[in-house]
Amino acid sequence: MEVSGDKRFRILSCIDGSDESYRGLHYAARLGSGVDADIILLYVRAVDQDMRSGGLQPRVFRENLLDWGLDLPGINYLKKGREALAELGIMSDHWTERAVHVDRQGDPLGDNSIEYTNRAGKKIVLKLIVAPDIVEGILEECETNEYDLLILGASERWRPGRRKSFWDPAVAEKVVARAPCSVIVARELKENYGHLICTNGSEHAIDVARKDAILASRCQCPISLISVVPEGESEATAMEALTRTRQAIEAEDVVVEEILPRVGDTVEEIVKAGARYSVIVIAPSEIRPKWWLLETDIAYQVMEHASNSVMIVR
Amino acid sequence: MEHRIDHSLARTARAALTRGQGTLGLGWRRFNASPYRTLLVYLLAKKWLFFAVLVGIAMLDLPLPEGLTEAGRIVLTMSVVATILFVTEPIPLPAVALLIVVGQVLLLGLDSSEVARSLMSDSVLFIMGSLMIAVAVVKQKLDKRLAFLIVRFTGTKTSNVCMGIALVSGVLASFIGEHTVAAMMLPVGVTLISLTSDDPARVRRLAIVVLLSISYGASIAGIGTPSGGARNAIMIGYWREFFFDPGNPETFRYAVDYLKWMAFAYPVFLIQIPFVTSILFWTFRPKQKSIARAVVRLRAQLADQGPMKPADWATIGLFILILLGWILLSDGIGLGTVAVLGAAAFLVIGLVRWEELNNGVNWGVVLLYAAVISLGVEMKVTGAALWVAQSFLSLLQPLGVDSGFGLWAAVSVLTSAVTNTMSNGAAVAVLGPITLNLAVVAGEEPLVIGFITAISSAFAYLTVVGTPACTIVYASGYLRTTDFLKAGWKMMVVSTIITLLAAWLYWPLLL
Repeated sequence: MEVSGDKRFRILSCIDGSDESYRGLHYAARLGSGVDADIILLYVRAVDQDMRSGGLQPRVFRENLLDWGLDLPGINYLKKGREALAELGIMSDHWTERAVHVDRQGDPLGDNSIEYTNRAGKKIVLKLIVAPDIVEGILEECETNEYDLLILGASERWRPGRRKSFWDPAVAEKVVARAPCSVIVARELKENYGHLICTNGSEHAIDVARKDAILASRCQCPISLISVVPEGESEATAMEALTRTRQAIEAEDVVVEEILPRVGDTVEEIVKAGARYSVIVIAPSEIRPKWWLLETDIAYQVMEHASNSVMIVR
Repeated sequence: MEHRIDHSLARTARAALTRGQGTLGLGWRRFNASPYRTLLVYLLAKKWLFFAVLVGIAMLDLPLPEGLTEAGRIVLTMSVVATILFVTEPIPLPAVALLIVVGQVLLLGLDSSEVARSLMSDSVLFIMGSLMIAVAVVKQKLDKRLAFLIVRFTGTKTSNVCMGIALVSGVLASFIGEHTVAAMMLPVGVTLISLTSDDPARVRRLAIVVLLSISYGASIAGIGTPSGGARNAIMIGYWREFFFDPGNPETFRYAVDYLKWMAFAYPVFLIQIPFVTSILFWTFRPKQKSIARAVVRLRAQLADQGPMKPADWATIGLFILILLGWILLSDGIGLGTVAVLGAAAFLVIGLVRWEELNNGVNWGVVLLYAAVISLGVEMKVTGAALWVAQSFLSLLQPLGVDSGFGLWAAVSVLTSAVTNTMSNGAAVAVLGPITLNLAVVAGEEPLVIGFITAISSAFAYLTVVGTPACTIVYASGYLRTTDFLKAGWKMMVVSTIITLLAAWLYWPLLL
């Protein structure tokens, strides 16, 4: 079992070969650019459904592929991720390499990881794990190795206008609902446009805003605040919430660039204003909802309707 | 200095992130740590198991329907519960097989030795033997020579290469099973794709047509001969079990041998081949009209293999002998005996080691088929299959499809629907007793209905798990689940029409 160092900031970036997952990795690289942050690239391969291959063990055709000198899909995706980090200059100096293999789920390929460490102790890990399904694999990794932040691409069908499946939610949807740490769901993730932090002035919201402000300051991302009050209420209420939140953030020596008081539908206003930013940052309700009631929570509604990336801070 | 600042930042960030967690979601975190969470997670993961058990209890508790015996109800309940478990897979499938065995002893009151005997039949022996032969053939690495042959004859035009792949995959799969061919051809397909471009996005459509040419080519061929798939051996076993009487010459036609099966099914496979390439190109329209660069590079890679080795010739010779055994001897000694003999020959000659066969075959599949066939026989013996067939027919009557072409279409659609949710062998094992009894009740020819059932079980083009070939090519990582849907429904329509036309125009000539 991998032991998590108490002092290190650990970012788990899920890679599935999609452009969105690599954009998420770029963002992870930016957030984790300090030497104290580790970046773990994770590819989860669903355990082979050996009963479905007609009685042939999957190892027969996998070994045949390897015999032809062909890499398995996840390995290619992770290699591409490593190359992307090298291009960004993250892995430019001397790194030591350590490979680890663990037998898993009766799968002959099992879990494999390559851990790169530089002289300052910063780690980049390429991890290919096997799990009964993708969601379980990501969540198990989160729980086992204690990450501070999880970044994954939004599933194609979990976007505005796409038909949703009640019975079979998208991977990102399920991971967001159950992840024990903060999660960024990347959609067309662009850097340099800053974080828009949502607040209602409550202690919980202020606390979340402060957490994200510190995180954003790691990558010199500009910070803005938004507070929305329903129709019929005064904009002054929103302004009061923004002022309190701003004071809390500035107490951490982080500058707030802009504040946006709004009156109207909360989700609509946040989604509209948030489109200009790299990431919309929001906290789920203090009382974590049951999974079948997820959609009642403002945070999850924003997550679903936003056209850009959203971060749920826990 | 920078190092220290960053550590300080990390501490601050972590402290900030953990601050306040004492009040945030405290109840949830306590719940997470409690044993109730483990119980809840277990219950959710096994929900379909509980659903299946509840359905089973309800079926056993309901008043006995008219015309169904108590034993028939128990077998029917076991079949329904097993089907739910096959489709939803809350427990490993071999566990379902074990429960079927136990159920026959405990619920039906059968003697355990009798149940044990019912597990092994010629069909099961055939499945076991042909799986061992499949592993032995894949281990001989003849795939590179096959690839060389394909690219030598097809040229560099993408559609020709795909047609060549579908044809070679199909012809081979019709004799040695789709899983064997998919395992052998997958590296060929992936190599062609990766030699065209390293960027998966640029070759995505090409990858779909190449890989689906392998899987659909192999899938449509699995019905070509009895050795093409477990489902064929299962249907042959059912015909023999249900209709064949050694003392009655009129029933001898139900002892379907290798050539007779081929006469019925092989043309159905051959006619479908051009449609595979057409449908795939019509649906996905790959940008690369020619893959000359990849073909030239592949030829160069494969050209230095040298001449055929003695082991290569021995494999080909042995396989031809096995094929001849199936054609000439299976009527007397059974398909299964020939298959097991062939597997033994590979071991005796030393072309494969037992450890390789043992590691390459999923014995759980053999156990599963054995149990399902045994349950299928009980469906017939207890009259449950007849009762279901009568009930199904009474449902079809108001629709006017209770006989002739309409009934054939209904059987084909039913089998296609079921086979897309479970393995085609299991679909035939479960549905076979019902559709064959349906033929008897409706006054139809059991051979025709049986062939429609067996052939339609290959129409699992819609899902990754529909056929072994689809599952294997999906493992390449180039395909999405939706790719199977986009082309699969068109394949289903074409395959159904061709099968029904064969039943209408061609098979009567053979009866």
